[in-house]
Amino acid sequence: MSAIDDLMQEFGRLPGIGKKTARRLTYYLLKQPPGDVRQLAGAVERVADEVEACSNCGNLSDEDPCGYCRDDRRDPSVVCVVEEASDIAAIEKSGHYDGLYHVLGGRLSPLDGVGPDDLNVAGLAERLRDEVEEMIIATNPSVEGEATATYLQKLVDQIDEEIQITRLARGLPVGGDLEYADGVTIAEAFSGRREM
Amino acid sequence: MTASRIRSAGTAQATAKAHIGRLSLHNFRNFQRAECEFPPAGVAIIGPNGAGKTNLLEAIYYLEIFRSFRQARDRELVRFGQRVFRVEAEIRGEAAGVESLAAAYDRGGRKKVEVDGEEVERFSDAIGTLGAVVFSLDDVEIIRGSPGGRRRFLNILLSLVEPGYVDALQRYRNFLSQRNEALKGEADPAMIDAWTEGLVEKGARVMEARHRWIRGQADAFARYGEEISGEGPGRMRYDPSVDWPEGMTPGREEAGPGQPDESGADGSAETSDSVADGDGTGRWRSREERRERAERWAERFRRALSENAERERRREVTVVGPHRDDIEFRARVADDEQRDLRKYGSGGQQRTAALALRLVEADTLAGRLGRDPIYLLDDVFAELDRDRSRRVLHLLDEGRSGQVILAAPKAADIELRGGLERWTIRDGRIEPDADGTA
Ligand SMILES: [Zn+2]
Repeated sequence: MSAIDDLMQEFGRLPGIGKKTARRLTYYLLKQPPGDVRQLAGAVERVADEVEACSNCGNLSDEDPCGYCRDDRRDPSVVCVVEEASDIAAIEKSGHYDGLYHVLGGRLSPLDGVGPDDLNVAGLAERLRDEVEEMIIATNPSVEGEATATYLQKLVDQIDEEIQITRLARGLPVGGDLEYADGVTIAEAFSGRREM
Repeated sequence: MTASRIRSAGTAQATAKAHIGRLSLHNFRNFQRAECEFPPAGVAIIGPNGAGKTNLLEAIYYLEIFRSFRQARDRELVRFGQRVFRVEAEIRGEAAGVESLAAAYDRGGRKKVEVDGEEVERFSDAIGTLGAVVFSLDDVEIIRGSPGGRRRFLNILLSLVEPGYVDALQRYRNFLSQRNEALKGEADPAMIDAWTEGLVEKGARVMEARHRWIRGQADAFARYGEEISGEGPGRMRYDPSVDWPEGMTPGREEAGPGQPDESGADGSAETSDSVADGDGTGRWRSREERRERAERWAERFRRALSENAERERRREVTVVGPHRDDIEFRARVADDEQRDLRKYGSGGQQRTAALALRLVEADTLAGRLGRDPIYLLDDVFAELDRDRSRRVLHLLDEGRSGQVILAAPKAADIELRGGLERWTIRDGRIEPDADGTA
């Protein structure tokens, strides 16, 4: 396979990128100075080499533990459970939360063959045995996100009944992802979170 | 009893009007390009079978639900050898709400819906805008066919009139298919449970809405049936797959029409929380009451799931829930004997029930729209005897002001509203018939 075809194929594997866009991106890069293209390649390589899931919370970061887990100004008695690391950025932007996070790495979906063992659930259970007093479940308001919340709630009740479990209030757009909600909406969702 | 007295609550404003003016079709079924201008009162379209009568009504109703009422796939609606069909209508009259509706579908799978020339983001924002009801010969299948057809009837109607129904139903289906997948093979109980609460919550919402509508329309249904057949009233009742909640009784068998048959919350007094009486269902209007009733269905649903846990593990599928709902239709054959019309009704009884069902649907839409819907009648008199036909025509005429678009193979027996304008249809071409004009 030629270098050009190779790159097009790689682009085509990215989410939301079809054949046409893959071709456009490839030919765009071919027109750029080689230095710029190498810079891009370097950035991709660094992400591959240096970014890892935080061994404590599952957040993606080039430090382990990640910046949130190491920040001793954050309240370690509250853990906010999110589906993806990218959800953290959305919550941080709202500026209304100063506890820790836990990234599941997805959500339950039998139809996609995703069960609890495919998510970072065991790690969460482990953390909850320590000093955590409240768990905020911030999975998306999709059917799968709701079911994941129900699953976690039952699981945590079994581990320690004393842990307060709350669910981010609705108000997040139904079917919409946390990642795309604006800061005000997320702030409202936090202040209106309800006990499960 | 006159038709206008039968009509259920909420239709008082039905003198307000809206009608289809210009309609244009492009590559829809056997229409290459067709344009026509409907008179406000409507039209009787005469043409041989296969000329495109039903296709025309299908195209019009496509603008109501953005899919085929004959359950055809969108791509089957595109004219042979073409890529795209388009249906467009101008809506006129003081109660129209919008000026134009259009829908187009491309074989590639893209569908687009426009209201007043602007593409809508979600079809659910535009369904029901036209306000139309189809009476078809195939309606008898709703009565005598499988429960799925009766659920489909409820789903379409409630999607049009019940806010939030589409969303609840969609989420219910998603919870259901995930849960059924979780039930397969060596199922982990916690993994099944994860889907149960959502299933129950959305399912109860669906059950409450279905029950409320059926219960609210049962009297009108019985009276329409009586009016059409000249026989004793047929009965319609909700037939859920779970036990009835305490205080809610199955139906009207023991109580006379208009008598409260429920020991539970029957106070239909309006509260400030009430939603407008748009759907004509009358009872249990306040949001709080509906929520309270949904909770009682949820409790029964939850219980039925736990009672059937063994069975569903064995069968690897969720065995109870609104996906197993039904509507029961009965006719009284003797003082103490009732007959299940779904299985044992005569052809005449089943057709009567189907017509009565469409009439209550029309009333429900009228309540929601604040005007009569547009009546699309597809050869409905073909299999009715002369007396029944006359009584149906009378019911459609009396107290109803909606535009009527009627299709029939022969001109005979079409005497409606002092005579509708007559058109002919042949090979996908529609032509006003100079001689037939009333
Ligand atoms: Zn971390």
